[in-house]
Amino acid sequence: MKYKLKMLTLGLALTSPVAFAGNGTTAEHIEAATAAYKQVAKDTSYQWTTTVKTIKAAKKALETGDDKAARKLAHQALDLVEATRLQAKIEGETWQMRVPK
Amino acid sequence: MKKIIGSALAGTLGLSIAFGISAGPVEDQIAFQKYYENRFPDTPTEDFANGVYSILPTAREQWEAIEEFPPYELAIEAGEEFYNKTFANGKSLADCFGADGAVRNQYPKWDSERGMVVTMELAINECLTANGEKPLKYKKGKITEVTAYMAFNSRGQKVDVKIPSDDPRALAAYEDGKEHFYTKRGQLNFACADCHLLTAGNLYRADTTSPGFGHGTHWPVFRSKWQSMGTLHRRFGGCHKNIRANPYKAQGEEYRNLEYFVTYMSNGLEFNGPGARK
Repeated sequence: MKYKLKMLTLGLALTSPVAFAGNGTTAEHIEAATAAYKQVAKDTSYQWTTTVKTIKAAKKALETGDDKAARKLAHQALDLVEATRLQAKIEGETWQMRVPK
Repeated sequence: MKKIIGSALAGTLGLSIAFGISAGPVEDQIAFQKYYENRFPDTPTEDFANGVYSILPTAREQWEAIEEFPPYELAIEAGEEFYNKTFANGKSLADCFGADGAVRNQYPKWDSERGMVVTMELAINECLTANGEKPLKYKKGKITEVTAYMAFNSRGQKVDVKIPSDDPRALAAYEDGKEHFYTKRGQLNFACADCHLLTAGNLYRADTTSPGFGHGTHWPVFRSKWQSMGTLHRRFGGCHKNIRANPYKAQGEEYRNLEYFVTYMSNGLEFNGPGARK
């Protein structure tokens, strides 16, 4: 199950427009991650604290001139956003299994 | 004919309960409480109001020692003073909640006019603002003093949360809280139910998780970790942070509905707040 989840998350992250194309400035990648984070929160009400921290870390890395690290962090944040969306989807279908009968 | 219809209804209800198709709040509550009674057969039902101390004898000894000089005592005194303080318009909280504020068993409640769950903290702030006073912050500080005083005067009242059957919005709020309780969140992928139902009583690092049965009874609490008093919604937020989920707003709809569900599940237990917890 964990393996499947990881693979699906990876798949979703790799197919996200910015990450896949690898185009755009690092600032744009961070912006894309921020927008994706906000969108998933709007769509599902799920938000992970780690995503916020990762976006902040990406911004900080960019400010200090470490473009490579900033870009990597932006992509990590996108991965987290997609995993959040996946969690919301799975939970929407399975939460009732935990209710005592 | 009536007998046949009755049998058919009973059969449908039975099937619904067995497969969880449309179990209502009453069926949920029975199954929920039964779960804990089966899991912790040595704990008398009424003792679940004492949280983790109902299932952990060693911690209970320490807790009982703490209760001899309870750390929430000063909060009760400060709360009494605030409760009786006269507003600028000459009124006080006593005009909203009676002479001693012993109304803990009336909250959380369904407000059919507004179509929302009203908690005691929300009602206090609504009383303040209706009388031209500033509202209090919802997680700690003055609000915990007032609620500590009111909870103390309400000790012994039975939890009796009602879900009016004539208002489908009340059931929807309950269902929302229920879904919240059983749904995994955060990067660590935990539901409230994971710690406080499925693995209640297990160790997470050095801490034993408390049974969910009894979660709404003892608030506000003085928590040793906080070294201060806090509300239930403060704790909800802390739990969410622990599992790396962004907490919701204290007294927002999500947490009010969650409180509605959690407290309804503890119907029949006694309110025993304010409390002291690790």
